[in-house]
Order: sequence, then structure tokens, then C-alpha cells
Amino acid sequence: MNTIIRATWQEMARRKMLLITLVLTALFLAVFWFIADTVALPGGGAASDLIGQFARRSAILSLGFFFGGFVVAFLAIFSSFSVISGEAEQGVLQAVLTRPIPRWKWYVGRWIGYVSLIGTYALLLYVCIVAITGVHAGFNRHAGDNVSSLLLFLAAVPALVSLSMLGSCLFSGIGNGVFVTMMYGAGWLGGMVEKVRGVLPVEPDVQATLSRIGALLSLVMPGDGLNRRMQYVLTQGAGETIPFLTGGNPPSNAFIVYALIYTVFAFGLGLWLFKRKDF
Amino acid sequence: MNVIPDAAMPAVHTQGLSKIYDNGRGCRNITLTVGKGEAFGFLGPNGAGKSTFVKMLVGLVRPSGGEGELFGSPIGSLEARRLIGYLPELYRYPEWLTGEEVMRMHAGLLGLENLDAKSKIRARLDEVGIGKRGSDRVKQYSKGMQQRLGLACALLGDPDILFLDEPSSAMDPVGRREVRELLLELKKRGKTLFLNSHLMEDVEAVCDRMALMLNGDMIRSGSVPDMLKTKVRWRFKVGGFSLLLLDWLQEESGVVLTAEVPADAGWDEPVWLEAELEDEYRAALLNALIVEQGMTLYESNAYREKLEDWFLETVSGRDQRGESR
Repeated sequence: MNTIIRATWQEMARRKMLLITLVLTALFLAVFWFIADTVALPGGGAASDLIGQFARRSAILSLGFFFGGFVVAFLAIFSSFSVISGEAEQGVLQAVLTRPIPRWKWYVGRWIGYVSLIGTYALLLYVCIVAITGVHAGFNRHAGDNVSSLLLFLAAVPALVSLSMLGSCLFSGIGNGVFVTMMYGAGWLGGMVEKVRGVLPVEPDVQATLSRIGALLSLVMPGDGLNRRMQYVLTQGAGETIPFLTGGNPPSNAFIVYALIYTVFAFGLGLWLFKRKDF
Repeated sequence: MNVIPDAAMPAVHTQGLSKIYDNGRGCRNITLTVGKGEAFGFLGPNGAGKSTFVKMLVGLVRPSGGEGELFGSPIGSLEARRLIGYLPELYRYPEWLTGEEVMRMHAGLLGLENLDAKSKIRARLDEVGIGKRGSDRVKQYSKGMQQRLGLACALLGDPDILFLDEPSSAMDPVGRREVRELLLELKKRGKTLFLNSHLMEDVEAVCDRMALMLNGDMIRSGSVPDMLKTKVRWRFKVGGFSLLLLDWLQEESGVVLTAEVPADAGWDEPVWLEAELEDEYRAALLNALIVEQGMTLYESNAYREKLEDWFLETVSGRDQRGESR
């Protein structure tokens, strides 16, 4: 399995996916530094203006993770969407799968390869966003919040990779790229519906309907929901500071359990299909 | 882990092996035995089901019915896959890797130790003619070079049986010849070869036995010389020929003759007569009868049918389902 994990890392490095992502991320972080500097109160804010400082820190974090959530999701999707059908269409997979390794090892090896590398990238991005925000607007000193928000941020990676590999067992390379992006988009839309419903001047029953629609869409692909919950934890529930970024009710604990089951189910179903697939 | 194949078992044995896809294509009820050390040619037009059958043998496709074994191990099992080398018909290798890195990856999948792998990789790359270009990225390889790399990968684990699906289809004539020589060398070393090929001269030169697939069914099988032996055709170039003489010749010799008479041929133009003969004594009899009737015998020769002719003759006139699986 180590050979397959190594080959996955090598692929991402050689195809310059990581390089491009890292260069663009560095550019983003440079811009983010100035945004944070601009938004934050001078000198980190007076001790008497703790609420103002807290609100601005939340806003900066939300902006950072608005970008961070997208970039991690798209890196996970576009690096893995053609891993099975695409490689089979090209003829790369046929020579490999006749080797004396169980198919599950190949599948798990690829999954670990993607999740470990993109997860490492997500970890670095998280640390950078939190650090830049901390320098300009102070840190969230509650270690528990930091750890749980980091875990929530990372949890989107296996969910997306599992869905992408499952889709790759079912659809053609390009078809699966469209499928996973649309699924992620649906989840993101669900989050947006939840975020904006609170600021729309509509009746309570319309708000409830919108909330239900948002929740259902979030279930389609829980990646964005995990990101929203992560922001909620990290900003200690300062959703009302920027409604379009962090507003609405945060996904519940049940949603997190659902996201875990979703990931395990997508992974297991993909593995089962892959083992039975003809090439 | 090294697996020692059971010498008493045939290299390939299938019993009613079938794969029927949703569209009704695939291959049906193939019963076949290939002995250890034998070179077996698998022929058939595009879409006949050859690749599907081979893919079942190497574990890429799950059979719909029947069973198969490689050296006594069930097809698709890890034990069976430890014994094989496979060059797919559609061969591509990760273009971001070098040829050596592709080989190293395959060595890892085969469980070869580092030192052992290094020397084997070098030897196989040299054997297939890639040599120092092994350090180039695959994206710089021509199709023929990629096919050579595929062959090197197939040979890497020193497999007991090699499944080669069109092993030299992308190569130039020199490359094809080199591959043919390599196959003959492998055969000499006692390797079992299972060759799917449209290149009849390869099958004719390398294979001991062959089978012909058509529309998912195996319609003929046997040894290459046997399949061709029944079809020794004789041709006689004669002058002063007339159709009346043809009837007489057939009656006297008991042989069915065909005459190739051009529509605008003059009476004195030579004509080709053809007949399938069991032995050369009958040819001698025909020669004598032709001369006895006052015809001029310009030329008389045995035309040994090439595998390509045999193939075309066997599949012509039959319905073919085309290229899609």
C-alpha cells in the first residue's frame, strides 16, 4: 500500500497541482495579511473595546475560511475526480490492477494518499489563517475551540475525497468532476440559504421553509456544513457580525455525526463498487 | 512472495468461461487449455471478445459464468496474479513519471526488494530496447516506446505466463521484429505465452497453437500447422486451355479445379488453374494429365496458405458484430 500512497503523492507533486495551489495560497495569504491589517483595530484595539475587537477578529477569520473552505474542497475534488474512471479510460489502471495486490489496498492507498496530502495542506492553511488573524486581531485562546475547529476543517477532506472516489466508480472522469462539484455546490447553496434567510424580510413560516431547504441541501454534501460549524466554533458563535459569511444557525452535533456516517458510507460504497468493477 | 506454479497443472484452463455484458456482447462458453511452456495465439476480428476473455484470465473482468485456473489457481486470485505478466491492449503509463519510476512502482506492487528490483528494472529496460531512455519522462515517449515500457513492466516479475494483447501494434517494423525475437527467446526460456494479436506473422512465427474467436464464440482451435495443413493449394499455369478440358481434367483426376480466366483473355493466353490437394502425388498426376491433353504447362507450384489467408477465409461470409465490445 505504501507504493500506492507514494505514487499518489508523486502524482500530485509532478502534475504541479500542489505547486500551483501553494503559490496561489501564498498570494492569497499575502492579500489576506493586508485585509486583516485593514479590518483589525489599530494596535489590536483598546482593552475597553473587546467586543469590537472580537467582532473584527470573527470577520477576518470568516473571510479567511470562506476562501480556505473553497480551496480545500476544490483541491480535494480536482485531484481525485478521475482517479478510477479516468485512469481506466486512459489504460493506466489495467496494468496496475493485475498485480498481486488486493483491490481494496489500491483503493485505500489512493484514499490515504489524497487525504493525507490535502489534509496536510488544509492544516497549514488553517494555521496560517488563524496566525495572521491572531497577529492583527488577537487569538482565540480557548485551546478546545482551536482543536475542534481544526478537526472540523480537516473533516471536509475525507468526506470530499470519499465522494469523489465513489463517483469515479460510477461516472466517467469529466462526468464525475461535474457530479462532485455540483454536489459540493448543493451543500454550499444549502449553507447560503441558511445564512441569508435570517436577513431576508420574510414571514417566520417562509423562514422555516428556507431553513428546511437549506438543511436538506446541506445533507447532499456536508463539506460546506462542516466548514460553517468550524467557523461557528472558532468565532465562538459571532455569526451576526457578518450574516452573509457566518450567519444562520450552525450545523448541529447530529449534523457532524451525519457527516461522519456520510464519509464512511461513501468510502465503503466506493470500495465495494471498485472491488466488483470490470476494467 | 514467490509462488511456484504447479508443474502438473496446465498454464491456463477454462471451462465454459463467459462474460456477457448488458448489451449482449462479450464472450461465451470458452473452454480452453494451454499447456505450460506453450505459446498460444488468440485470433479474431475486432469486437470478437478476445480482450474480454484475456481480461477475465488476468482478473480485470469478473466472469458471468464458468470457471478458469492459471496453474491450478483460480483466475483473479492473488496466487494466479503472482504468476502473470500482462500487457494491456490499451496501454498508458503515468506520464509524469520516468520509465524507471513506472518500473519501480510496478516492482513495489510485485513486492520486489530494492536491490533486486534495481537490477531487474535495468535488465528489462535493456531487454525491450529502452535502455538509458528509462530516465526520461513517459510523456516524452512515442507510442512504440510506451509499448516497450509496457512489455518491460509485464516481464518485470519474471512471470511464468505472459498475456500480451497486441504487443507490437504501435511499433515500426524493426520494433516488431525485435518483439518477435524477444517472444521466441521467452518461449525458449520455457515461459508460457498467450498472444492476442492481429499480426498473423507473429502468431505464425511464435505460436504452437491458436484459437479463433468470432462474435464471442471460439469457432476453431488447434495447432498452427494443423490448422494450415489442410489447406495446401496448388496452382498450375497452363496454355491452350479450354473449359471442355477442365471437365475432363476433373473427371480423370477426381480433383475439383477452378480456372481463373480473364474476361478479355485470348485463346492463347495462359490461364491459372487452382486446386486444394491432399498430397503432391495428385499434383504430379494433374501435371501429367495437362501435358497429355496437349496443354502447355508453364508453372506448377504449391501455395502454402498463410495464416492471414486462413483467417480471412474463415471469418469471411460470417456475420461480424464489429469493434465495440
